[in-house]
Order: sequence, then structure tokens, then C-alpha cells
Amino acid sequence: MDPRVINALAAASVAGVLFLGFGGVVGTAIGADPVALVKQREQTMKTMGGGLGAVAKFVKGEGATVADVRSAAAAITEMVAKDPHTVFPQGTAIGVSDSEAKPELWQNWPKAVEYWNGLKPAAARLTEAANGGDRTQIAQAMQVMSKACSNCHEDFRQKKP
Amino acid sequence: MSMRGPALLVLLLTISGGALAADPSSPNAVERGEYLFNAAGCLGCHTDEKGGGKPLAGGRPLATPFGTFYPPNITPDPDHGIGRWSDADFIRALREGKGREGEPLYPAFPYTSYTRMTDRDLSDLKAYLFTREAVPTPNRPHELSPPFSWRFTLAGWQWLYLTEVGPRPDDPSKPPDWNRGRYLVEAVAHCGECHTPRTTLGGLDRDRYLAGNPKGPDGDKVPNITPHPKVGIGSWSPGDIALLLEIGLLPDGDVAGGAMAEVVRNSTSKLTAEDRAAIVAYLKSIPPLE
Repeated sequence: MDPRVINALAAASVAGVLFLGFGGVVGTAIGADPVALVKQREQTMKTMGGGLGAVAKFVKGEGATVADVRSAAAAITEMVAKDPHTVFPQGTAIGVSDSEAKPELWQNWPKAVEYWNGLKPAAARLTEAANGGDRTQIAQAMQVMSKACSNCHEDFRQKKP
Repeated sequence: MSMRGPALLVLLLTISGGALAADPSSPNAVERGEYLFNAAGCLGCHTDEKGGGKPLAGGRPLATPFGTFYPPNITPDPDHGIGRWSDADFIRALREGKGREGEPLYPAFPYTSYTRMTDRDLSDLKAYLFTREAVPTPNRPHELSPPFSWRFTLAGWQWLYLTEVGPRPDDPSKPPDWNRGRYLVEAVAHCGECHTPRTTLGGLDRDRYLAGNPKGPDGDKVPNITPHPKVGIGSWSPGDIALLLEIGLLPDGDVAGGAMAEVVRNSTSKLTAEDRAAIVAYLKSIPPLE
């Protein structure tokens, strides 16, 4: 991929993170508007996905650099540090806006928290691998991160028809 | 394919090399059978993982638009499992959709795909299943409403939809990896059972092969995996598809959920990198559908 495209993408993700931070404050300020909370969660997920996508581009040799992997790991680390209560507040299941979170997520809340907390060591490993810069280590860390995401997606996410 | 292709294959071998449990080229029937067992995804449907059931003892509810199916116990238990089944019984079940007494089986069991598996693969699969722990869990009846609950209607269903029985010969005009990919996609991994839409009678709509199913298992929307550039996976690189199969990661960084997460965990992550590449070669070659 063209380095200019990469830079533009990186700038866009930084902008996304900043927007999300701002949106987070607003979301809290206006109270529990479920639609806004769902949108906020989508942004959190998109930031994590954007990060993992950049890592995959590096692993696949599709243009991303180790520096991109480092920023991706930093963005993912910031997202997984969030309290799961704020990411998955009550009243934001399927039916609210375009939420894809199954009601089972709240019915099995300890499991959901376990999955969420499982993201943290995966993000830490990704950061460590990114700092080391070794492609195989990064690939393996990416696999661990992907597995950590899939735990929750498998049990608690439903793609909307 | 660019220079990336071979490098990627080597890399993918590096990621999962240590995790590969079984060997498809083994001369040992049980080892080959284990590989096929993973590729065919038997574990997922025949184990009630969430309900704490033992492996392959059945009972995992499978919600469909036709009702809820409870896949049976396929452990070697003689009374509740398939311990008394001969090789011929087993092959007939997977190839013709018939139970041990000759009764037609519900197509929630994807025999319209398994029918294309070879005799050797089917008997090796059985050899592996017979090494598993026998569990005396009784089968739970399906919960279906009429007319789907009337088993006699299944003969008509099979007449309509089980139209091609038995393995297909390789296409000599295509390379071996394409033929292997077609075999994996069509027969063993039975991708079409979820990714192809169904008719009102529950048969696969073969004109829409792999074009996605808005009403997949458990209500999930199942995506179009034909090479259509907009609505399918035509814009995905071969590496993108291989990576999805290996670790569940989509090109946009999303991670597959629902039934596909389970398929990746139990099945496609356990294939060899060569087999994943064969699947990619085949999927890239099928007609793009909207």
C-alpha cells in the first residue's frame, strides 16, 4: 500500500481515538441515552478493529510498518483498559439502534467480564511484540488478540439480518 | 499472485505450525480420521458445550427456522451412541442420509454435503470416532412443528434435494489444489450448509451457492463468500481469506463471531496451511453472485 495512504489511515485512526475520547465525555454528560451508548461502543470496537487490521496488514506484508503496529497496540491497549460496565451498559442489547450485543451478555455477566479482562493480557503481549518488532512474534500476538476478541463475539454477538 | 503469496504461506505455517493436531497425509486411519473430524466440524454440533455435555454426546440445541434440532450422541456407546454401527451403516448415514434402521435423517445433519466424501475418508472418520470416550447420554428428540415433525416427509425431501449422491471425480482441467479446495468446501467442511440460502422447504438453493444466507443458524446473518467484488469477498486477497480461516480475523480488523468463530476454533484453524490455501483457490474461482 502507498505510504501516503497508510499515513492518512493512521491520521484517521488518531482522529477516531480523539473523537471517541470526546464522545465518551459527552456520552457521560448527557446521561444514559442508549442509542448514544451503542454508538460509543461501536467506536470502541472500530478502534480495536482498526488496530488489529493494521497489525494484520503488517503481518501480511501489505504495507504497514512496525510503527503502525505500535500505534495500533497503543490504541487497542487504551480501549481494553475501559471498564466493561461503560462499554456494555445495561439496556444496550439488540433492538437498541444497531446493537449486535445479545441479551445473553448481561445474563452471563461474569463470563462477559472474564472475556473482557482476557483482552488485557492479549493487548499487553501485542504491545511487547510490537516493541520487539519481530514479525513472527507480532503474528503470534495478533493470533492471541484475535482469539480473545472471538471469545465474546462467538457467545454474545449476533450479526444483524 | 504477487510475491507475497509464498511468503505468506510460510508465515502462516509459522503461526500455527505447533498447534496442528492431526496429519491428513498420515497412513494411520485414526490420525487421518482426526484431521477429517476437525475439518468436518463434527464436534461443534454434536457437543452441548454450553450445557456442560461431554464431547460428542449430543444435545446441543440447533435453532433453525424449522424448529430446534438436538444432534445425537455419536460416541461409541453401544446403546445411546453409534457403537453398534458398521462401516457400511456409517457411510450410508453420511452419504444417503439414512439412520441405522434405514430411516431418513433430518438434513440439519449436513449429509447433502458429506455425501461427496470418499469411502476412505468416511471410514477413517469413523475409525477416529470409535477411539473417543463412549458416553451413555440418551438422545433428545427434536422440537419441530408440522410438517417438519413428520419424518415420513423426509423421503420426499431427499428426493428433491439429495440429487447428487457420492463423491465427485476430480476435474482434470483444474490444478490439484483447486480440486482439493472444492472437496473441502463442498464436502468435508460443508461451507454451503450455512453460506447458501435455503428454499422454503429447507433445501439448499444451489443457484445461489455460497451467496450468503440472511437466516442462518441461531438467527445469524451469514455472509456471501463468492468472489463478488461488492457483496462477496472479491476484494479480499488470498492472504485475507487464509487469515480469516486460520485465526478468524477479517480484513477490516473485525473478528468473526457466532457460528463462524466456532468453525474457526474447531475446524479451519486446525487445517494445514496448504488446505486453507486450497480453499482460497477454490473460493476465488466460483461464480460471483450478488
